[in-house]
Formats: sequence, C-alpha cells, structure tokens
Amino acid sequence: MTTVSLQTTPEEQRALERFYFHEARLLDNRQYRQWLALLCPDISYRLPARTNLMVDNRQRGCEDMISVERELEGADSLGCPLREETYVHLMLRVERAFKVNSWSENPPPRTRRIVGNVELMARKGEALEVLSNFHLFYARPGSADFLYSGQRRDTLLAGSDGYRLRQRDVVLDYADINFPTVGLLF
Amino acid sequence: MRVADLVNDDASLISRRCWADQQVYELEKRGIFGRAWLFLGHESQIREPGDFVQAYMCETPVILARGGDGGIHASINSCTHRGLPVCRASHGNTRRFVCPYHSWSYTVEGDLVTIPQESEVRCKPDKSALGLKRVPRVESWRGLVFGSFDEAIIPLEDYLGDMRFYLDAFFGRFPGGIEFLGAPHRWVMDANWKLPVENQLGDVNHGAFLHAAIIPREIQQQIEAIGYSAVTAPGHGATFRLMPEDAPVDEVAWGMEGMGAILGTDEVRQYLRDVQAQAAERVGDLRARMKGLTYGIYPNLSFLWSNTSFKVSHPRGPGKVEYWSWAVVPADAPDTIKQTLRRNYSSFFGPGGILEQEDSEVWVQQYRGASIDFADDRPFFYGLGLGEEAGHPQLPGLVSVTANEFYARHFFRRWRDDLQSVEGGQ
Ligand code: FES
Ligand SMILES: [Fe+2]
Repeated sequence: MTTVSLQTTPEEQRALERFYFHEARLLDNRQYRQWLALLCPDISYRLPARTNLMVDNRQRGCEDMISVERELEGADSLGCPLREETYVHLMLRVERAFKVNSWSENPPPRTRRIVGNVELMARKGEALEVLSNFHLFYARPGSADFLYSGQRRDTLLAGSDGYRLRQRDVVLDYADINFPTVGLLF
Repeated sequence: MRVADLVNDDASLISRRCWADQQVYELEKRGIFGRAWLFLGHESQIREPGDFVQAYMCETPVILARGGDGGIHASINSCTHRGLPVCRASHGNTRRFVCPYHSWSYTVEGDLVTIPQESEVRCKPDKSALGLKRVPRVESWRGLVFGSFDEAIIPLEDYLGDMRFYLDAFFGRFPGGIEFLGAPHRWVMDANWKLPVENQLGDVNHGAFLHAAIIPREIQQQIEAIGYSAVTAPGHGATFRLMPEDAPVDEVAWGMEGMGAILGTDEVRQYLRDVQAQAAERVGDLRARMKGLTYGIYPNLSFLWSNTSFKVSHPRGPGKVEYWSWAVVPADAPDTIKQTLRRNYSSFFGPGGILEQEDSEVWVQQYRGASIDFADDRPFFYGLGLGEEAGHPQLPGLVSVTANEFYARHFFRRWRDDLQSVEGGQ
C-alpha cells in the first residue's frame, strides 16, 4: 500500500464521499435491501482476525515490528479470518433482518456510523481502491451500548450509474471481542 | 446454601443459583476445574520446538509449548518473582519468555534461566526451584492436549472413555488427522460458562426454533427422523444423524452441507466425496454413515462436527465467559481446500457467525433470568424425556432421541457430585 493517496479531482473525491455517506445512511436506516443493490454480485466481504503477537526482537526499531498487518489473519493466511463472505452470505444476513426470529436484533439495534478519512489509494482500470474509517455506535434494547471502530479497505467499480462495491476488508480495532457480534454490515 | 438443594435427585430440576452464585462458582473452581482434564490445545498448533499458544484452565493462564526436546509442556503463565504473566502473545515461537518487570527469563519448558539482579547479591537463589509452575498432568489423545491440576487423575484415555468411539468417527476419516487453523476466535459474554457447554452437549433442538430465521424446518424434521443423542458418561455426549445405508454420497459426506462446500469449487466437493469414499474402510460401516452435530467433553470442551469447530467455554466468574473457538480442517488437505472449508465454521459460528449471534444472545439472556430475585422456588425444568434413554446394540453409551434432555441431566448429576465432594471445605 502506498503511503499517500492519489491526486484526484474535487468532483471525484466528492463522488466517493457521497457514495459512502449514502451507504451509511442506508445501513443506519435499516434499508438493507437497498444496500445490497450497491454490491457487485461477485463481492468478497472479509474481516481478518486480529491476533496478539510477540514483538520480534530482530525487527527492533523497524516499522514492521509494530505494523498492523502482522496482527491480521486474513483471507490469504492459513489462520481463520472472522468472516469471508460472498453475496449469498450478505443476502442471508439481510433477509434475516426482516424475519421476526432474528432474536439478537429483535428489537433492532439503533446504529449510527460516521464514515471519514476517505482516501483514493489506487486506480486499476475501472477499479478504485479506497480506504475509509468508521465509528459505529450500536445500542441494543435491553443491553449495553457498544462502539465499533475500524478501517475499510474497499475495491469499488465505477459504472455509469455510480459505484459498486466489489471487495471490502474490514479491519476492526478490537483487542478482546466484547461486542455482541461482529456479524454486522460495516 | 447446600449443593443438594440445587439439583434434585434425577436432575430434572436445576436451581437458578447453579448459574448465578459466587459461592457456587468457587465450588466449581475447586470441585471441577481443579480436578478434571481440561483442554489446552491441539498439537498442530505447536509443531516446531519453541512454538507456543496460550490456554486457560478456568481462569488460570497457561502456556502450552513444544519444548526443545520435542515434548509438550504446560506451565502456568505467572512469574515466580512477582506473578506477572511472562507471555503476552496469543501464540508464537520463542526461545525465552522474558518477564516485563525485572526480566527474569524462562525457557518454553518453563525453567528459570536468568535472574539479571543475581550478580549483585551474595546469596544466589536456586533457580531450579523457581521455574514456572508446571501443570502437574499433561496428556494428549489424537493430538488433543489436556492438562489437569490433579496429580492423581485417571489417564486421559480412560477419562474420554467411549467418547473416543464418537470422536474417531470424525478424526479417523482423515489419514493425517486434523489441524486447528490459526489463533482461536475469542469473545466475551455476560453469561455463565455452562450454558454454551450445555448447548453444544446435546441441545440440537433449539435449532429450528431459535435459528428459524436461517435454519429451514426440514433440518429439524431430519434430526427428528434420524437423529440420536448419546451420553457415554455423565457430562460427555454426542448428537449425530445416522444416514440411511442407501443415502447418496453427497448427503452423507462430511462438510458438503457447509457454506464452504456449497459455494466452493468442484475440487472441494470432490475432495469431500473422496474422504467419504474411504470412510467405511477407515472407521467402519456404521460410523461412515454418521453425520455428527454436537459433541461435549466434560467439563467445558465442545466439538461442533457439523461446522467443524472446537470450542472451549472459559469461566470468568459466574456471570462472564470467554468463549474460544477454532476452525478445524483435515491436516493433509491442500491449503486452498483448508481455506475454503474453514468457512463451514466461520459463516455460521464464531463471533461473526450468522447463527451463533442468536446463541450468544440467549446465553446472555439466560444469565439474566437466572439472576433474578423472588423466583428461587421455580427452578428450571430439565425433565424432557426423563428415563427414556437406554442402551443400544451398536452405539456406546445411553442413547435416545435428541429431544430427550438426559445429556443435561447427566451433566448436572456429575456437576452436583463434583461440587459436593468439595463442599464443606474439603
Ligand atoms: S515479576 Fe517477573 S521478574 Fe519480577
Ligand atoms: Fe444454536
């Protein structure tokens, strides 16, 4: 990953932010089916697991010693990511939300997310690699409130009718998972 | 409080205090966790000398490591000087654990090697007596490593007893055995440790109800038609389906019903068929037709065959549990197949699983129900199917339909006996 985002036009930056703000509003409004329409059918949606490793003495003083990447068990690893999902998984989650026996979210949680730090990192033909951060407040009736925080590493496809999400890796900032679930649509 | 008042004779009535009482929890620590075989990890996690993983025995942190001698060592993760944990990583490979406070250092086997301050004092401590406390008994079976604080405990194989028959129905299918993938997923819930255990010991009958948003009715009908629940010893249990002899291979083969296989490539499905083709030869006709659901090993280890995951329910007090789960795959499968099959677990189970979020929710809600006041005269009803279990000509243990709650009654009888054995300060 490069360290500085691409030079882009104010229009393109604005278009990306509009896409993310729209997406956030759909999710907080529980308009999940409309959210599904923002996805490519071949989407891959993943949450790497985050582990606690020893610092490697040989890397003392180097950036790698404390890099985020070394904590992640992602899709390419032989560990076990928290989630590795397709459109079918996401559709199941969305359909579940509209059934009365989705007990852990019935009554539905109240969420509010702030998406920011939107950075266009690379352009590969029609595909854009975009980073964004989020804070997601989650209040479940009869339970405590929770704050989720993380980074999203997206691949978007730019089409004539706007962007579609092709890939999303969600790097959650957790040490111990004390949220009720990491099965949300982040 | 007397333990005898918590669980009635046939264990069909279980007091709320069993779940939400500090005094009961202290008895559990001594009567169960101080004396049982407790799961520490799998040998596939510590292949090379210096490899280690963290584990817990109840709330006691343990380091499970492969020593320089190739042996397996389990030590309590607490410095002999002032008690800090000397290992802070979830897993890794190292030559030494160095304590943060004064840098005493220990080998992965737990021996104390250096005391940096020692050169400045005249009287030299005897380092050989100051290593990490060892877990007194460590044994493994089929790669599953267990430890016990009880020097005099029976051998692990005897402890597992006839559960080995059921576990081998799975392990025996794979020539290279199984392996655990990566670090465990761990999550913390405001629940009592026993409910996840009970859930995985035999409670497959909540599936079509609690999980009705996802699990179709037909699955419940199949479980009612060909499902069995077996209790090999109190606290150990297995539920499974016994598929008809003429069932097509795609219906019998392990893993085919998981998301990994459904959404995966033909290569994956062919791999699963090939495993099934050898199953009868490897584990016998009867066990080749077994399609497991849930397994439990007393006190707190679970194996979810249908979604191939091992789980441990680590108590953190009466009202808090740290739940660990691992994806399990055949050790000799190609890497790409392992990466696909792990989704059979993570799609539905674990902290992000579509199904397990409902389970976590009810475990937390049950703890609330167990903690309320003014309802002690209304214990929980565990009487479904009372006395309906019986021996079976081919299946070890007591066997019954899955709706029979005898797996839980047997668990609580053993639990009651264990607590009574330390009641009154023994
Ligand atoms: S507490 Fe470990 S070295 Fe002092
Ligand atoms: Fe469940």
